[in-house]
Amino acid sequence: MVQVNPTKLFLRFRFKKQGSLQYISHLDLVRTMHKVIVRAKLPLWYTEGFNPKPKMIFAAPLSIGTESVCEFMDIRMKEYIDPAEAMARINANMTGEMQITEAYYPDTKFTDLKWMSYRITIHTDGINEELVSDINDALSAPVVEVQKKNSDKTTDIRPLIKSADAVLSGNRIAINTVLSSDPSAFLNPEYVIKALRDKCGILSSPDLTSEYYDIMRLNAYCEDMTEFK
Amino acid sequence: MQNKNISSVLKSVSKPGRYIGGEFNSVIKDKESIKCRFAFCFPDTYEIGMSNLGVRILYDVINKDEDVWCERVYAPWTDMKEKMEEYSIPLSAVESGDPLSSFDLVAFSLQYEMCYTTTLAMLKLAGFPIWAKDRAEDCPIIIGGGPCVYNSEPVAEFFDLINIGEGEEVLLEICHLYNKMNDEGTYTRSAFLREASHIEGVYIPSLYDVSYNDDGTIKEYKPLYDDVPTKIRKRIVEDMDKAPYPEKLVMPYIETVHDRIVLEIYRGCIRGCRFCQAGMVYRPIREKSVETLCKQAKCLYDNTGYDEISLISLSISDYSKLPELTDSLLKWTDEAHVSLSLPSLRIDSFSEELMKKVSSVRTGGITFAPEAGTQRLRDVINKNVSEEDLMRSVGIAFRGGKSNVKLYFMNGLPTETDEDIVGIADLAKKVVDQYFALPKPERPKGLGVTVSVSCFVPKPFTPFQWEKQDTFEELIRKQELLKTSITDRRIRYAYHDAKVSFIEAVLARGDRRLAPVIAHLAEQGIMLDAWDEFFNYDAWIDAFKKCGVDPAFYTSRGFGLDEVLPWDLIDIGVTKAYLRRERDKAYEGKTTPSCAEHCSGCGANKLGGKNRWCK
Repeated sequence: MVQVNPTKLFLRFRFKKQGSLQYISHLDLVRTMHKVIVRAKLPLWYTEGFNPKPKMIFAAPLSIGTESVCEFMDIRMKEYIDPAEAMARINANMTGEMQITEAYYPDTKFTDLKWMSYRITIHTDGINEELVSDINDALSAPVVEVQKKNSDKTTDIRPLIKSADAVLSGNRIAINTVLSSDPSAFLNPEYVIKALRDKCGILSSPDLTSEYYDIMRLNAYCEDMTEFK
Repeated sequence: MQNKNISSVLKSVSKPGRYIGGEFNSVIKDKESIKCRFAFCFPDTYEIGMSNLGVRILYDVINKDEDVWCERVYAPWTDMKEKMEEYSIPLSAVESGDPLSSFDLVAFSLQYEMCYTTTLAMLKLAGFPIWAKDRAEDCPIIIGGGPCVYNSEPVAEFFDLINIGEGEEVLLEICHLYNKMNDEGTYTRSAFLREASHIEGVYIPSLYDVSYNDDGTIKEYKPLYDDVPTKIRKRIVEDMDKAPYPEKLVMPYIETVHDRIVLEIYRGCIRGCRFCQAGMVYRPIREKSVETLCKQAKCLYDNTGYDEISLISLSISDYSKLPELTDSLLKWTDEAHVSLSLPSLRIDSFSEELMKKVSSVRTGGITFAPEAGTQRLRDVINKNVSEEDLMRSVGIAFRGGKSNVKLYFMNGLPTETDEDIVGIADLAKKVVDQYFALPKPERPKGLGVTVSVSCFVPKPFTPFQWEKQDTFEELIRKQELLKTSITDRRIRYAYHDAKVSFIEAVLARGDRRLAPVIAHLAEQGIMLDAWDEFFNYDAWIDAFKKCGVDPAFYTSRGFGLDEVLPWDLIDIGVTKAYLRRERDKAYEGKTTPSCAEHCSGCGANKLGGKNRWCK
């Protein structure tokens, strides 16, 4: 691996955040990771000044209720450490629901990350092929309007959807989709759910335990759809 | 860890991280290889409960026993409670996600009186009858403990068993008895409770009959059987250096109120402030050695990664080796970017040197507790600090860059007059003057003085246990008087809701006749009373009326010196005769020196304990 800037030695970690940890907010994740990397006794670089802190940068914050096997954080080291060694030490200090899967000195920046893929699984009443094609039609329409959060205005999310493909999978509907992760045009997959609620009438039951959905973030890509590393 | 099909429920409530468990350092055991499942319940939210030192210690102690698995349980927030009721989701432990009905022993830590309704709400969410007498043979044994149980009478009949005093040893003895009786096949609910009553520090409320006089006062507490003790002596841990202390802490994912390492320096207090229950019930004083503390601090840092260590005790500056301890800790904490904090500094022991050591860059403020506005009243309550002490301390704080000073006071103290109330305003003004007396370059910018005033609640096992509480109207009048006496804009005035203090006083000194009141509130779905937004004064008053209880009987009436007190059944070590002597001295305006200067014969030394001051 190439070091972009040897004076700023950032080590990149790809990690998963699954199961019950989908209910942990990004802010709480940052707080948690701070303690994890201290416990792991990594050669951390600290900020200067009154209140020195390790330098941690996260890519594309995940919202509550989304699982992921594709999270990234860069941590600045004060000296070289073998990535495999750093990964092992961190993993020993986390539970199975959150583990590092790759560690390396990166040659990209988080701004190179443009797209992320997700699998949305919908457990809903009245599953049939017709509903699946409704969903595919809704997401491939020229315009997919949804209401903005805390606002009366609607916005077209269609340009932010690279692809979306719904299939019937047993008694569930699985949607594989690639959404924009560009910081200036980030699309939260919850908006896809929102659009489908409006257009296909899914997940409308007041009983929260009979109809529900899961979201899993799967992978990250650069502008040309090569895998982000 | 929750079942999959409640994922939508979790997505619909605030802070779902409260309910998921799965924290690093939490203990998971194989259900098949243990004999006893123990649920440690905290009748408040996860964020509050996770910060409690007692729970942290006991979770560790119980889980060190390989036959027992201790899990944690917290109260749900109201949005989650509604969902639990709507979807019949029973209250469960965060480790296994199993409902409380699959446990053997279910213990509640009662830290403050306002958690009583939450305790009953949790019993209901677990599907247990709230009254001990209504529980069937297969219901877990419901245990109470914590500081409130020095007078547990208002809630005694909701518990099968109450642990009086420190729980490190006695909870394990209870578990062992439970396991032994199950192994031998002799376990029944009643046989177990009868046998447990023989363990020192165990109180079985159902084994006592209470009778009352015509005037409503208590006539007597009578054990139902000869083998049941007539007095229950609290338990203590004798040697704090040998006492178990957690090496690891369960690491919360979400932010909790005290999200840091808490290092307990010693137990007990040498001071003897006459309003303070903790100062009496935690006697005798028992210190840990510097070696023990340094080892515990380093170990906890390695296993948690926290960047703050809080040194706690009732009055940290009374620790006999404080400079030695802070110096030893500072040898590594600075380099590790760990800061030290001392939350309980006395005005008379605050020094520049100490402040530099604990200088926490995160806070620009510091808190002192003069408690009363005049020297006369500070002598009555035996606070033993002077105005000079306060002026010297705030001077040091200002010069050290602290621009925000918070001053704690109480109103409604015994013998208090309007002069004492106005004295609070005067004292705060003198603190402001002290700031402006400093040359401009020496003082930090942005002066803020906060006067925070709570209402005096007479507590059991204090020299003021017999005192009248001011009526609600009088407390309000005093609060208003102080408000008009504070004229400086730089002084911020904050005061406690007198309604809460009134209810606290009823519950603190209440007897068994209050149980129906609390049960009535729980039936109406009231919980989380300790939260301002849920405290419902009118509901309490209504419940008193419905149950025929006059709350003034426990507050403004005051208790007769010869009256049988609801808590007379409990022996905390400190004798009633000592409390009475201290009460008399209060009325004479005489102070009592600290245990470090002179032994006043409080009686706590009979409990033993390896310590520094008592003979």
